[in-house]
Amino acid sequence: MKKSPLTLSIAVLLVLVACSLLFCGQVRKSTVVVVTTFGKPTRTITEPGFYAHWPWPINQTYTFDQRIQNFDDKFDQTFTSDSYNLLTMVFVGWKIDDAQAFFPKFANGSVPEAEKKLEGLIRSAKSAVVGKHPLSDFVSTDEKQLKFNEIEKEILTLVQEQVNQKNYGIKLEFLGIKKLGFPEAVTAEVFKRMTSERQVLSSKIQSEGEAEASKIKAAANGKSAEMIANAEAEATAIRGEGQAAAAKSFEVFQEYPELANFLLSLNALDASLKDRATLILDQHSQPYNLFQGYSTNLLNPNSK
Amino acid sequence: MSDKHDHSHHGHHHDHDHDHDHDHDHDHDHDHPHGHGDEKPAANPPTSLPEDTGTQALAEALQSSFGIVKIAMVVLVIVFLGSGFFKVTPQERAVVLHMGKPSGTGKEVLLQPGLHFAWPYPIDEVVRIPYSQLMQVKSEVGWYQTTPEAESLDQEGPGNPRLNPNGDGYVLSADQNIVHTRATLIYRIDEPVTYQFDFVNASNTVQNDLDNALLYAASRFKVDDILTRDIVRFRDTVRERVNHLVQEQNLGIVIEQCNVQSKPPLFLKSAFDGVLTALSVRDKNHNEALSYQNQVLSKAEAEASGRINTAQADKVRLVESVKAEAQRFTDLLPGFRKNPSLFANVLLTETMGRVLTNVQDKIYIPARADGKTREVRLQLSREPAASANIVPASNH
Repeated sequence: MKKSPLTLSIAVLLVLVACSLLFCGQVRKSTVVVVTTFGKPTRTITEPGFYAHWPWPINQTYTFDQRIQNFDDKFDQTFTSDSYNLLTMVFVGWKIDDAQAFFPKFANGSVPEAEKKLEGLIRSAKSAVVGKHPLSDFVSTDEKQLKFNEIEKEILTLVQEQVNQKNYGIKLEFLGIKKLGFPEAVTAEVFKRMTSERQVLSSKIQSEGEAEASKIKAAANGKSAEMIANAEAEATAIRGEGQAAAAKSFEVFQEYPELANFLLSLNALDASLKDRATLILDQHSQPYNLFQGYSTNLLNPNSK
Repeated sequence: MSDKHDHSHHGHHHDHDHDHDHDHDHDHDHDHPHGHGDEKPAANPPTSLPEDTGTQALAEALQSSFGIVKIAMVVLVIVFLGSGFFKVTPQERAVVLHMGKPSGTGKEVLLQPGLHFAWPYPIDEVVRIPYSQLMQVKSEVGWYQTTPEAESLDQEGPGNPRLNPNGDGYVLSADQNIVHTRATLIYRIDEPVTYQFDFVNASNTVQNDLDNALLYAASRFKVDDILTRDIVRFRDTVRERVNHLVQEQNLGIVIEQCNVQSKPPLFLKSAFDGVLTALSVRDKNHNEALSYQNQVLSKAEAEASGRINTAQADKVRLVESVKAEAQRFTDLLPGFRKNPSLFANVLLTETMGRVLTNVQDKIYIPARADGKTREVRLQLSREPAASANIVPASNH
């Protein structure tokens, strides 16, 4: 068969591909590759891209995820410094920081193996930190007393210290409390306390409400009495003004006080005997003095 | 996501191999009868010839099939290159990893919606990342065990007198009460590259943050604030906490919405309802007191203005009547000065006449001839409302 340049180039290409598969590797973004030489880690490649290595059995490559992993620990019992039995659960964001250190510690760099170790470390760190704080550091009506953030940070620092000591090649990015609770038996006690608190609250609201309502009513009554009293005072003042104004008109009576008295008496008589009155008179009263006979001859204009 | 892409690509390739095989077989079958037809007339020439023609036919057949293989290869290469085109939908962005390395830095690395090209794996890898679409996480860490059916039908039973920590979730309020609370967080991915390449499961991290935020917020609010009095501030605290955490963790997301729902323990429902009833009774009493207040005050106001008006009227009347009296006095004075006694008598008699006309009962008692006093007995039987005016006429 004749060897055309095309066939040749294809053959070369195929050989190149085969070689590249043997000698080349790829570091994908957010992963890290550890190259071992006869089973011993010799190189760590963190920069994504293309790299060369000897084929098996000289070199072997292991790829590790460098992204942040989530891990939740168990919801287990811890004791606060004031001996409350508090159930706590935390979540951790961790990542492989030093793959070359990480790789030999856990069977072939297995993430679940690492998490098992982490779980133990977190459990002991958690109980150590929780044991230093009273319950009021976790939940409190006084915000200044709360140490929620501090507790999380303390656990994180403690776990990180342990991890560093053992050179696991792990970095804890963040740690937070995910769940808090009481043991089952304690919840029953809490419910009892809550029930009685509710009852106290109900009766307090009731009595407060009643007190407030009667206060409003009493205030309204007081205000009303005051308003009427003020109005009465004003009315008296107005009447006084009237009398003062009237007194000015009285000045004219000074000219002949006898006549003034007489006229006012007549007016009073007129006003007081308007109707439904019984008048008992004797013969001296005008005009009945006519019955006595005298002064008839003088004048008789007041015929009844 | 990248796996999916690899898979589809692979499948495509495989299909084409199959097509090619099929075509080849078909052509070969077609060729064969043709070659056979040639062989038959050539059977007459010497035996060396059939061998020649046989190899020639074989060579021809090989050559033609080789040509077909070539065409198929060209087609394959075209298909291979063509498979490198991919579409990015508006709800996503894509990153091309060239030999595992993002092709570019910063925001430029993100491929916008449209048609793009990438070399097939392992040279290039297309990573698709959800973008602009709203993501949602729910935190049920503080909620009791229930089913959506029971919840929607409001048939959640009387609740347990105690809560099993492994079954029923709850949070602890600042006053150490047990409260159920849950939250839904809606967020948008703002930095797709960090969201995708820095976290194994970013949405899981967001959910953990939401769990933590509920605990955090509950730890500083009293049970009544969480449930009724300060729901909005409680929710805002949850949201702020989540926001703070995701910022700190560089998750590259933006929170769009945060909904929080809280409930007292089912077992204590009646106790909590009792407080609500007490509250509504208090409000009712309060409103009643207010309406009483309004009533009393408006009545008092009316009364007060009535009294003032009366006084005003009294004042006017007094002034006017005195004025009239003064006028009358001034009018009468000249006449009176002329003959006071006569004038007085005239006025008195006139008045008496008017008075006696108005008076209902008039009793005249003449003096006894012997000058002794007379005894008068009066039987008054009028209704008490009208006071009887008894004016014994005085001696003139």
